[in-house]
Amino acid sequence: MNGLAAIYHKELLTYFRSPIAYFVVSVFLLGTGYFFLYNIFMTGIGTMDETFQNMGILLLTLVPVITMRLFSGEYSGRTMELLATLPLKPWQIVIGKYLGAATILFLMTAATAINLIPLYLYGNPETKTILSGYVGFLLLGLASLAIGQFFSALTENQIVAALITVPVLLAFWFVGHLQTFQTSFVLRDLFAYLSFALHFGDFIKGLVRSEAVAFYAIVSTIALTLNTSYLQWRR
Amino acid sequence: MVEAPPRGGLLFAASVIVSFSPPIVLDRVSKRYGSKTIIHGISFTVEKGEILGFLGPNGAGKTTSMRMISGYTTASSGRVTVAGYDMATQNEMAAKKIGYLPEHPPLYDVLDVSTYLRLVGKIKGVARAQMAAQLDRVIAACRLEAVVRREIYKLSKGYRQRVGLAQALLGEPEVLILDEPTAGLDPSQIQETREVIRAFGEQHAVLLSTHILSEVTLICQRVAIINHGRLLAIDSPAGLQAASEQSNSVTLEAGGPADELEKALLEIDGVRDVIVRPFPGREGLHRAECQVDAREGVEARIARAVAGRWDLYRLERQHPTLENIFLRYVGTTAKEREVA
Repeated sequence: MNGLAAIYHKELLTYFRSPIAYFVVSVFLLGTGYFFLYNIFMTGIGTMDETFQNMGILLLTLVPVITMRLFSGEYSGRTMELLATLPLKPWQIVIGKYLGAATILFLMTAATAINLIPLYLYGNPETKTILSGYVGFLLLGLASLAIGQFFSALTENQIVAALITVPVLLAFWFVGHLQTFQTSFVLRDLFAYLSFALHFGDFIKGLVRSEAVAFYAIVSTIALTLNTSYLQWRR
Repeated sequence: MVEAPPRGGLLFAASVIVSFSPPIVLDRVSKRYGSKTIIHGISFTVEKGEILGFLGPNGAGKTTSMRMISGYTTASSGRVTVAGYDMATQNEMAAKKIGYLPEHPPLYDVLDVSTYLRLVGKIKGVARAQMAAQLDRVIAACRLEAVVRREIYKLSKGYRQRVGLAQALLGEPEVLILDEPTAGLDPSQIQETREVIRAFGEQHAVLLSTHILSEVTLICQRVAIINHGRLLAIDSPAGLQAASEQSNSVTLEAGGPADELEKALLEIDGVRDVIVRPFPGREGLHRAECQVDAREGVEARIARAVAGRWDLYRLERQHPTLENIFLRYVGTTAKEREVA
């Protein structure tokens, strides 16, 4: 486990000794703050429902910034040759990096709690609904990070990695809309099942469904497994 | 009555095999990318206490071979064994025994030197209690004391190279694989780095690729010459020179007519070919270059034959330098490929 911990530590150092972490967290907080204020003052309802929805979309556009360098940066910086020849198993590299990126996600998420202060001071929000929204947001983020990390492993170019990740994540978000055009029940169910937005919507409403939790866990596991297999195949 | 073998007998046998096989073994190793073969069935070993110099022009296959030995990539066929471990299936075990400096030092620019080395040490499994001592050892060996707290992106090329070497030395590896370790260093740094490698090579196996031929002569016990993915020769520098002397040359300067001098030289036993040219600025004097056998006494026969008829001013048997030998090998294969 030393190797995994070292990779995780290295990822955190890399994030915080470069502008990436500060940029991502700042942009996310500014965006979330704007959406929160807009939703509260426009609707006059003291909930996080709309804000969570906006946070989801904002997250999908920022995840590629977090993940694009994870492996592409190692390839272009020639450091992959070091990682691949040290006593590390591919899954340790993959999980160590994933945990590093996940830590940024947790920090981003935790920082949005500042919005809850006025909400609880001046409103009467449902705590359980907010908590389930945060659970859904984290699961959405973890699945998106796994996808972004996998695409980063496929190319040496960080920009290309980001440019592939953005449309894929947006496709997962919007794929639910396609079900309205389908006459086949199988396709309708498939598109609904694959939709990040529909599963996330359940969490925002306060429903922590095991099916939705399992969906995000499966997506994350598949992406991380593909990532590990790809590293093994590269040898 | 037959005694039952002691428990753990197989394990003991396996450990004996591991400890007695040379630290680096390549057995008919090939590497293909798609339909293109980069390495063609090369075989060699590097023993403990030996530094093997890996020579070859750019694109010869040195880096690919070193990547296979380090475990970065696998061989398409054949077997690479490092410290007794098969690199195709046991590379993670072998990785603990390998120190590897790739062609481009693998450094994290945003980290400072100390943090970077500590990170590599941790991954290599250096115990926390030994970490400080190990870091001090490699920092002193690579003369990094002045830059220990500096971020790597601020370092000069020479220091970056030395940080790369320091990470390779961490963890007390049994095998050191160095891809052009002195590239980018100034003369004094080159000298210091050679000393580090030489000292390490006394107890361990070192595979070293370089473009500096004198470096090979200075620190390597054996030399492997590779070109177009084929191993052309492997021997000690002295052995390569001796083998090359099979077609050694003798140069002489003598008076007398050119055609007669050439005829007299070709009649001598052991002389294969002669080229006679006028000596620049000296009327009636010629310089003759003779291709001769490696047999003893050819020079004496030439001296007797020439000195008996004309004035002999100089006679010298030329010993090939490593550079000549290298160019001869590399040039030969290039010509062979052109003919093919």
